[in-house]
Amino acid sequence: MTSAGTEALEARSDINPSTEPPAPKDIAGRSPTRIALARLAKDKVAVVCGLVLLLLVLAGLFAPVICNALNIYKDYSPGAPRASDVLDFDSYPLVGPPYYPFTWDHPLGVEPNTGYDNLALLLYGLRTSLFIAVLATVVSTVVGVTLGLVAGYAKGWVDSLLSFFIDFMLSFPFILGALALAPIITTRFGGNSETLGRAEFLSLVGVLVLFGWMGLARLVRGQVLSLREREFVQAAQVIGVPTRRILFKELLPNLVAPIVVSLSLALPAYVAAEAGLSFLGIGLSEGTSLGKTIASARGYYDTYPLYLWVPVGTIMVLVIALNLLGDSVRDAFDPKTRR
Amino acid sequence: MSRIRGLGRNTEEKGGHTMRFKKPLIAVSLVTTFALAACGGSGGNGGGGGGTEGDVDQETLGDTGSAQDASRVDGPVEIDGATEGGNINVISAAGLNTMHPSEAYYQNTSTILSGLITRQMTQYVYDEDSKSMVLIPDLATDLGTPNDDFTEWTFTLKDGIKYEDGTPVTAEDLVFAAAASMDRTQFPEGPAYSNDYLESGDTYEGYFTAGNTLDGFTGAEADGNTITYKARKPFPDLPYWLTFPAMGPQNEQASADPAAYARKPLATGPYKFDQYTPEKSLTLVRNDQWDPATDPGRTQYPDSYSMEFQVESEQIDQRMLADSGDDQTTISYDDVLNQNYRAMEETGRLVVGGFPLTRYWAPDYRKITDVRVRQALALAYPYADAYKAGGLIEGVTAIPGQALMPPGTVGRKDFPAIEDMEDAGTDVERARQLLEEADAVGYEIIWPYAKDDPQSVAAKDAVVASLNDAGFKASPLASTVADVSTVRSDPDAPINVRTAGWIADWPSGSSWFPPLIESTNLKAEGTGSNYSIFSEPTVDEKIAEIQEMPVDEQADAWGELDEQVMTEYLPLFVTGYGGVAQMHGSKVGGMNIDNTIGQPTWKSLHVTQ
Repeated sequence: MTSAGTEALEARSDINPSTEPPAPKDIAGRSPTRIALARLAKDKVAVVCGLVLLLLVLAGLFAPVICNALNIYKDYSPGAPRASDVLDFDSYPLVGPPYYPFTWDHPLGVEPNTGYDNLALLLYGLRTSLFIAVLATVVSTVVGVTLGLVAGYAKGWVDSLLSFFIDFMLSFPFILGALALAPIITTRFGGNSETLGRAEFLSLVGVLVLFGWMGLARLVRGQVLSLREREFVQAAQVIGVPTRRILFKELLPNLVAPIVVSLSLALPAYVAAEAGLSFLGIGLSEGTSLGKTIASARGYYDTYPLYLWVPVGTIMVLVIALNLLGDSVRDAFDPKTRR
Repeated sequence: MSRIRGLGRNTEEKGGHTMRFKKPLIAVSLVTTFALAACGGSGGNGGGGGGTEGDVDQETLGDTGSAQDASRVDGPVEIDGATEGGNINVISAAGLNTMHPSEAYYQNTSTILSGLITRQMTQYVYDEDSKSMVLIPDLATDLGTPNDDFTEWTFTLKDGIKYEDGTPVTAEDLVFAAAASMDRTQFPEGPAYSNDYLESGDTYEGYFTAGNTLDGFTGAEADGNTITYKARKPFPDLPYWLTFPAMGPQNEQASADPAAYARKPLATGPYKFDQYTPEKSLTLVRNDQWDPATDPGRTQYPDSYSMEFQVESEQIDQRMLADSGDDQTTISYDDVLNQNYRAMEETGRLVVGGFPLTRYWAPDYRKITDVRVRQALALAYPYADAYKAGGLIEGVTAIPGQALMPPGTVGRKDFPAIEDMEDAGTDVERARQLLEEADAVGYEIIWPYAKDDPQSVAAKDAVVASLNDAGFKASPLASTVADVSTVRSDPDAPINVRTAGWIADWPSGSSWFPPLIESTNLKAEGTGSNYSIFSEPTVDEKIAEIQEMPVDEQADAWGELDEQVMTEYLPLFVTGYGGVAQMHGSKVGGMNIDNTIGQPTWKSLHVTQ
């Protein structure tokens, strides 16, 4: 399919021949995505960030396997040491840092107060963070794109209504919403810690989505507003292509660039938001989360620094890698901002 | 009968728990709230895994203030080496609840008032030799003269006592205060002993609610310089009740507006209010109307006190550890956080002590009817794990034991509540055997915890793991810090175990058994402080019988009852007793622990050098 976007990108790549191999045959058959990927592959920052990310994703993905192999636990499952087995009278670990030498039994030490293994907490926390961030990003992208497309393409009252709704949601304070929701979830699902854990997980994703889709929706709407008047859309309308087909087959492919860019920047924002909410105690109370670990490690910054700085550093690396990668993706998709 | 806020207006519901002590606000409360979510125990396998141990006297908890000395009547008190001058800063994570003497019932408010600002008929002072508190006269010339059956107590007021504005204190002011102390509508959170014991306490609504009148009040009478308290039933502990700010003199005119009086109560003690921003700060300056010659307990060394509230716990610890500048003359009555205990102890500026707090789990007696299941629960409870999860320090802020009455209570017996059980001795195997015997494997245990408090969640996880190991089915009920006490006091809540803590107001069994295990009228009163909803007619009779006994036989009888009830019924099991670990700056002298309530000994504080 030949669309306006492809033509535009091809035209631009001709303008900038220094970064493109002088092979006219290639140019003809490449989609904008392939071009962007090719650019990404040449971006050193993107490659490094991609590798770091891959490592973190694998660590999260294989958390159960790694924990099994190392025989470490993030909770009191059968076989796990209890708090009194590994902690001193004032809750400092009896094994590993800060007062005892390094041990392979607990490579990053154990958590004061609970006796959980810090590495296990880190891996599972990473898993939670990534899972929530990916899920929230996907859902909010779907919601944002759909509403943006509809609002931009439909004229009149539908557009006004959706635009008003977008503005309304944008003006709603995020933290306040999360704070208000947390106790409701607890009261409704508090009876059983399993359902509570699930409810908290879903409500966290829900809150992140609820307050995260509007930016993309606005962006998409703006793009659609201008695309709507282009010749290929008008031609499609004239020959009687159904609206749904125009939206998803004619308009959507032209929006890939802004969507990918917004997606890649939303991911780190959600990772940080999840950690932040859990830190504030309105995220996950059941299960493991990096934000939760950081919240309980705050008081140990000078006496047991490893406990605090490892999860903090991990979140930092994760967010920076995602952000830089997002920047690179944006650069790759939008030649105007290329450095 | 705890120094904690009451749960309702009903006089029988003075219950409380450790959460309420210091009016927890967000982060601070984490340590204290844990106590109600899942109280810890201690010791585990022989207590204290190693390393340093706290030097809390675990045998007696320092004997929580059972001594009396009626001969110490006159001042002034002089402390060797103490010099006048300087300012003492006080920092705490919690705000002050109310400073109205009639309603001050938290640890901090009641001791700041009675230690520095208001004088009462009797008072506690710290005794260096026994490291304990002694009850001595204050405004009274002795510790009172009771009649034969302790229903009438006569005291004589000292001459020349004045309020900070120069108005003389009269015996009528004490009658007025007693009448005001019965006002459960105006002062819902105040202590209610006047209602419980004094004459007309059950009929008179209290001074303000009754329409600013003393008509109908017959609990106390003034005659010149003497005042007579009249009780409906024997009240041998009345001199202890008179140490409360609620029973100190208040001028009827000056305190006509309770809201205004709460902002500036008139001082009779060595310090008076200067600036007070509720929940934020309070400064005290010398009260020149205080006559040291009449006061056998208090001193007036520092020029002033500056109290700052709602300081983050972590910040308090760091300031106290750093000990620089003004913080050298700073004290805090908050416990040191467990992660800073070692560092703080090395500085030598940490004072530790016990106080009569018992934390316990109360299985619902209506629901968990088989004593073997309750015993299995006590054996399965992970005392040491729960302590650590809750940030309590074994042997310092958490002390193991099994009797309901904490060490130091007169007449206390030390016994295993379950045969051969060690203090805080978790024994999962034995719990499982008991459950199998009772044919109750898989018994569901439901208790509330605060899911927005990480320590409460951690403690919950530890308890769940241990109970499941023993063959229970642990189903904790998620609640929030704000709601958990409401859930607990609802007799119809879908839970079968309640967690609680109880502080005695004076060292006698009468502040333990009647409130905690005497049958309550559930319909009319709710659970009250009988969190196990325990009801056994024979025990009720026994309690009534002991209260009628001659006073000198009561103490031992309470001890006997403790053992009998705990071994026979186990209506609740003790997860541990309380202790405190408080910090002071390097230039503060005279700071010890008032082990009747776990607060600093305000009366002897001074700035050194």
